[in-house]
Parts: sequence; C-alpha cells; structure tokens
Amino acid sequence: MILAVAGGKGGVGKTTLAYNVAAALDAVAVDADLGMADLPGGRGPDLHDVLAGRADPTEIVRAGPVDVAPCGRTLAGARACDLSALGDAIAAIERERGVVVLDCPAGRRADAGVPLAVADACLLVVSPRAFALADAIRTRELARELDAGLVGCAVNRVTEEPPTEAVADALGAPAAVIPADPRVGRSVAAERPVVDAAPDSDAAGAIQNLAERVPR
Amino acid sequence: MDLSWTVDRAGDVSLVRCRLRNGDAGPRRVRIESRFDAPVLPPRRAGVPVDGWDADGVTLRIGPEERHGFGFAVPARPVEPPVEIAEIDPVGPDEPAGGVVGSSDDEPGESAVATALRDLGDHRPPRAAVDGERVTGEDNGDCDADEPESAGPDAVDDWFAAVEARVDRAEQLTDADVATATDAVADAGGVDALADLDERVAADAERLRAVSERAAALAERAAATDAPIEALERLA
Repeated sequence: MILAVAGGKGGVGKTTLAYNVAAALDAVAVDADLGMADLPGGRGPDLHDVLAGRADPTEIVRAGPVDVAPCGRTLAGARACDLSALGDAIAAIERERGVVVLDCPAGRRADAGVPLAVADACLLVVSPRAFALADAIRTRELARELDAGLVGCAVNRVTEEPPTEAVADALGAPAAVIPADPRVGRSVAAERPVVDAAPDSDAAGAIQNLAERVPR
Repeated sequence: MDLSWTVDRAGDVSLVRCRLRNGDAGPRRVRIESRFDAPVLPPRRAGVPVDGWDADGVTLRIGPEERHGFGFAVPARPVEPPVEIAEIDPVGPDEPAGGVVGSSDDEPGESAVATALRDLGDHRPPRAAVDGERVTGEDNGDCDADEPESAGPDAVDDWFAAVEARVDRAEQLTDADVATATDAVADAGGVDALADLDERVAADAERLRAVSERAAALAERAAATDAPIEALERLA
C-alpha cells in the first residue's frame, strides 16, 4: 500500500500528518519533497541518491520511532533527480516494508504529480483557510487524473469549529479534524509521533481514525 | 489525406518533418509509420515519449480540414518516402476530434507516472538557483525540521559577505584613478578575475532587492501573528 499525503499548498502540515499517519500505520515515511525536504534527515544516502542512481531504495530507510526514508537538502540534488525512477524505488520499499507513506511537495509540478501517480491512494491535508482548500481541490483533480483514489482529508491545526462539511463536500471525501496541538507540531522534530506521545489526545484519535480509512 | 515531408541529415541521424492535412469531411484517426529500417526516436517531454508515439510511428486524430505538423528523428540514412499512411479510420462521435491517441497498452502505474512527467511542469529547480547555492562539504544531514533556520543564517551571512566583497570591489573601481584601479585589480588577482564583476553585481542588486522585499513582507506577517500556544498547551 502506497499512500500519498498531499495538499497543494505549502505549510498546511503535510509533513507532520505524513509522519504521524505513518506512525499509526506502522509504515515507512518517505520524504518525497525533493526540493524542500522536511522529514528528519540523517547521515548516509537519501532519496536524492536513489533517484540519481547512486543508492538502493531499501538502504536509505532509517530506523526510528517512525522509520523514515529521508531526502537530500540541496537544490543541486533535487535538480539531478530522475523522477521516472520514483515508482520503482517506492515499489521496492513497499515490497520490503509493506505500507509506505509519501510526504508530497506543494504545487502542481511533476514532483507533486509523480508521487500521486505512484501512490495507490492519497490523503489531502488542508488548513482551515479558504485558500488552502482551493489548492487542495486542484490537487484532488490531479490525483484523480493520476489514479490516486482519495481516502480522506484532514483539516489540520484547527482552533475553532471548522467548516468540516463544506470541506468534505468540496473534496468529496470524509474530512477528519486534527485539532491544533503543540505535541503534533513538535512530533516530527522530536521524532515522537503523537499516537505514541499522547495516545489519548484528540489529535492522536483523529490521526488513528484517518489511518483506519486507509485500505490495506 | 495529404502527407508531405522534408528530411534533413545530421550525422548518422535523419530528421523527418511531416505535415498532414485532412481533406475529408469528417475527423479521422491516422496511423503514420516510418519506413526507416530503425526505431523512431519520438519527440519527448521530460524524457517521456509524447502521447501517440511508439517505435514505428505515430497515431494522430485530425479534424476535417485541419493541418497537423509533427516530426521525429531516426538513426538511419534517409529513405524515400520516409513515412507512409498505414491506416485511416473515421473517428467515433464520442471521441475528441483533435490531438493524439494515447497508447492504451501501457501498464497503468507506469503510464500515470509518464502522464505526470509529460503534462506537468518540470520539477527541477532552475540552474541559476542551483549555481547560487552554497556548496558545503556536508550534505546537511542534521537539518532539523523544528529549526529549519539552523542552516539558514550561516548561509545567508556567507552570501551577504560574498556580495559585500563584490560590491566593495565594484565601488573601488567606480570612478577610480589609475593607481586605485591597479591596486584593486592586483587584489582581485588580475583583470580576468573581474571580467564578470559588472554582471554579478547587477545580479546581486536584483537579488538583494527581491530579498529585501520578501524579508519586509515576512517581518510584517510575523509581527501580525499571535499563536495561542500557552492556551493550547493548557487545553491539551
């Protein structure tokens, strides 16, 4: 199972959601944001190296509270990536590890599209603001064209009652509300997924619910 | 159906340019095949053959009275004629009249990737951005998601320092007398080292202005935020 966590807009919390959903699914989180990697890095080869033909996909997976396949941080590395190799690389990780969660870049360029094309399903992240929804709708269209079924959407970092139904209607998928919780925000940097750090919190519950919608 | 062509030779490769005109009253699906004894090198976008092309030729849809131009390369000596119309079919009313025909025998996953690569914008950061990137011995490794700016200020300081050095040099040379200019040139290690100084300083100025605008806008936004972290921690 390959799940893409996408959303179109930057800064809505795709990386955080991808990391925490990967924790709930006991999956490998792959940092597919070639130009602006955000998941924890590490020494050794990364996804840039894989897509430049310098490393084996399975050797870049780094064990941790959530196993992560990190991505390089340089623009030169991003520029040297052959995106057409992403499908085989992710498939190799999936064969070895089962479930793979892809943290997708913002935008609608090929680096955002190819992970959706590679994925079996996608999860859209929106912030409770209207312009984030517009980007999410565009990404949903793209995912549809590229055959990545939408399993759900997450309205992220909610502080007041969000228009959940409007979001669900607009995106055509059940919307889960992830309440703003500093433990979620810190989870990636601290490498402490909220489903482990605060399993009884509302945020952890919402992430569990999202994870349960992912067919396996 | 009118098909005309020109063939150019470039080394061992023949470059074939074709024009097709549909003189029929209805839209047609036309299969055009290469007569070369070598596989066609089809036009590509982002490394992926354009829809409708395969190793033998291309399948096009063309509306009535429409013209369509296309071309390909082939690693072989020119032959005459280089292409032929292999098949013409009427196009059904529910199919789009123009454009090319997708190859349907692709494996679905593969073709979705190909579609994304072909139809979406290039993902690669522009070369200018890459050349401007500060190259460090260490490929980041420990860039922390919590502190993305940890690598930032150093890089920014270094960039400012480099720009300042260039501007200093350019200032020394601006309206300089011969002695000052000679010193500056000697400092720089010869006139060759200064060859592109003007251009680089102009580029610096442009980039500095963009950075300054962006920094001001970000500072304004930063000042306007008020994240209720404490309240949230109490509630959590």
